[in-house]
Amino acid sequence: MGLLDKLSCLLGLKKKEVHVLCLGLDNSGKTTIINKLKPANAQSQDIVPTIGFNIEKFRSSSLSFTVFDMSGQGRYRNLWEHYYKEGQAIIFVIDSSDRLRMVVAKEELETLLNHPDIKHRRIPILFFANKMDLRDAVTSVKVSQLLCLENIKDKPWHICASDAIKGEGLQEGVDWLQDQIQAVKT
Amino acid sequence: MAAASPDSDCGPAESSEANSKWLDAHYDPMANIHTFSSCLALADLHGDGEYKLVVGDLGPREQQPRLKVLKGPMVLTESPLPALPAAAVTFLMGQHEPRTPALALASGPCVYVYKNLRPYFKFSLPPLPANPLEQDLWNQSKEDRIDPPTLKEMLEGIREKAEVPLSVQSLRFLQLEPSEMEAFVSQHKSKVIKRQTVITTMATLKKNLADEGAVSCLVLGTESKEILVLDPEAFTVLTKMNLPSIPAFLDITGQFDVEFLLAAACRDGNIYVLSKDSKRPKYCIELSAQPVGLVRVHKILVVGSTQDSLHGFTHKGKKLWTVPMPAAILTMNLLEQRSRGLQAVMVGLSNGEVRVYRDKALLNIIRAPDAVTSLCFGRYGREDNTLVMTTKGGGLLIKILKRTAVFVEAGGDAGPPPAQSLKLSVPRKTRLYVDQTLRERESATAMHRTFQTDLYLLRLRTARAYVQALESSLSPVSATAREPLKLHAVVQGLGPTFKLTLHLQNTSAARPIVGLLVCFVYSEALYALPRAFFKLPLLVPGLLYPVETLVEGLSDKGVSDIIKVLVLREGQGAPLLSAHINMPVSEGLAST
Ligand SMILES: Nc1nc2c(ncn2[C@@H]2O[C@H](COP(=O)(O)OP(=O)(O)OP(=O)(O)O)[C@@H](O)[C@H]2O)c(=O)[nH]1
Ligand SMILES: [Mg+2]
Repeated sequence: MGLLDKLSCLLGLKKKEVHVLCLGLDNSGKTTIINKLKPANAQSQDIVPTIGFNIEKFRSSSLSFTVFDMSGQGRYRNLWEHYYKEGQAIIFVIDSSDRLRMVVAKEELETLLNHPDIKHRRIPILFFANKMDLRDAVTSVKVSQLLCLENIKDKPWHICASDAIKGEGLQEGVDWLQDQIQAVKT
Repeated sequence: MAAASPDSDCGPAESSEANSKWLDAHYDPMANIHTFSSCLALADLHGDGEYKLVVGDLGPREQQPRLKVLKGPMVLTESPLPALPAAAVTFLMGQHEPRTPALALASGPCVYVYKNLRPYFKFSLPPLPANPLEQDLWNQSKEDRIDPPTLKEMLEGIREKAEVPLSVQSLRFLQLEPSEMEAFVSQHKSKVIKRQTVITTMATLKKNLADEGAVSCLVLGTESKEILVLDPEAFTVLTKMNLPSIPAFLDITGQFDVEFLLAAACRDGNIYVLSKDSKRPKYCIELSAQPVGLVRVHKILVVGSTQDSLHGFTHKGKKLWTVPMPAAILTMNLLEQRSRGLQAVMVGLSNGEVRVYRDKALLNIIRAPDAVTSLCFGRYGREDNTLVMTTKGGGLLIKILKRTAVFVEAGGDAGPPPAQSLKLSVPRKTRLYVDQTLRERESATAMHRTFQTDLYLLRLRTARAYVQALESSLSPVSATAREPLKLHAVVQGLGPTFKLTLHLQNTSAARPIVGLLVCFVYSEALYALPRAFFKLPLLVPGLLYPVETLVEGLSDKGVSDIIKVLVLREGQGAPLLSAHINMPVSEGLAST
């Protein structure tokens, strides 16, 4: 990186670009979370189930994120793996109120972690235990227990409880992700 | 099956922990749900995309029946039912938005319809005409012309003989103690007698469109051997059909306004198939046992029977296959994996297994911790391929089929055996064959008569020969009552010296036999025996006595003869029994 680039980065004029994959079961709130992270004037009002995937952009204090917001529906989940190579970080969203499908989320996470394009990379994973505002929701500690997150030893990971509708807990997660990516880059 | 062979354990049908096709989403052994497959239904009752589970719960020991609605693993609402539930279905009543399905629960003589989980309509079966004699008796007791004991006596008379069964009121009266009768009569005597039947089974039938979200009619089977089809909005009876027996399970395809096929498995062990416009059954499939479940897989009717087997039939009643089960069948239901176009039948067995079959091929075995009494597969919550099971002990199990799971048939069972596809070289029909067939067709009667005559002659000859044998005691078994004896002889050796062993047995139950003699009759030119005539010892009942003797062959010309053995009683001329022994040719001589 040239001196000029570095300077413009520091000044926040031009930011470093990172590709992020947003994964998780359908209805977990992926699109809602990404939407909330965009500047207020770019947010859309109604959110519909994603078909295939969408590409979205948002910025944090020092990074420019390009997010692949994948559809979580069963029939589209086999698309995920085609984007693993390009991803520099993963956001994995879980509906904390869907007790029944926790096993399905766990199964999909295991498949992801065992994929050859992911298995041997130190790629940071941010988990959102989303919909914590709902009555049936379990705590983020319980979510990490149910998904056996403590078994992930070779990748940095972090779990945040979130409420995508009010936007709670999202900033904490993005800050962690930014730190991880910068730690790798510099 | 404690010692399952290792290869059966890792067969494709088997679900071992690691490579199971199912994810264990939930298990609660204390869920306290007691029900059958007919009382389970999955539907998006609130129109929010989150499918709920409807349970008509019979309650522990058939007490406190309840309607329960579950969201995920939790009970959302619960309300008591007046009688045991018979069936629960969800269906679309009308075309208006929002198109959320209504819930119908059959219980006793009524169907309770709920919309948005709020009571919406109650349909009661029309009352049946009461026995006029019975009504007359109650009228008389109203006017105090007969007293309760007489009423009881006469009602019992009707119960024994009459075609029309008694009403519930009379039946309850007959159960009372004499002291309670008076009060009961004065309380009920002025009521009009009503006879009510109950619903035994319920299903849905699309009204006029074939698609998924089409408006459907409720179809009821009743204890009075009737099938009723109800209008989806007005709940009036659209049509009525009669059956020869009481329906226990229903399966319907087609549309009410166009054409439909209705299969009813009944308590007389028959399945009757009816179509639109047929007021009576068109086809009848006779099972040799009671049906325990009926599921249609594509066009095949799959029936489970109390003989622990699964049968496949066409709707015209042609039996396609039978598969034996390792234990009694408790319940059955359809497994439909839309994403892969798979339809299969799930069978819950008394040994705790749930087996999945496509036709007669076993696809998968799930081992539940307890016998599964109800099964249901479909979209639950937000997951398409969810299996809900309840157990005998009241437990609730929820399993989710893995996204990547593919059902494959166990190797050996796939397809017809290879021999079936081999072409046999069947010879062409010859002129002779055709002539013969024609002759057989023309003179069948004559041929039959000739055959019968010969048969009678043969029988007569046999009988004559038998009588002769008995008279001359030529048989090796003595038939006289005093000396029941059996004899058989064995010749050993190559010659010229043979060993002849007689095995004698006293076949009487308890009496020993004494004073028997054995005599050999033979040609003295050919054979020499050390003793041709000797006495037998006392024969104890049941024991086998071997009597050995040596036979010396005298001829060197390689000829053999018969030696006769006679068993005699002392002081009697006629033998008790006799045997002819065919002596072998002496090999010892032939070689020298
Ligand atoms: N109560 C509550 N609802 C949420 C939350 N986040 C998302 N939702 C709702 O959940 C539903 C699904 O959200 P989406 O963002 O479409 O889910 P998705 O993960 O993108 O789903 P797919 O695109 O189908 O994979 C929407 O109705 C959201 O309003 C949350 O934190 N709390
Ligand atoms: Mg989405």
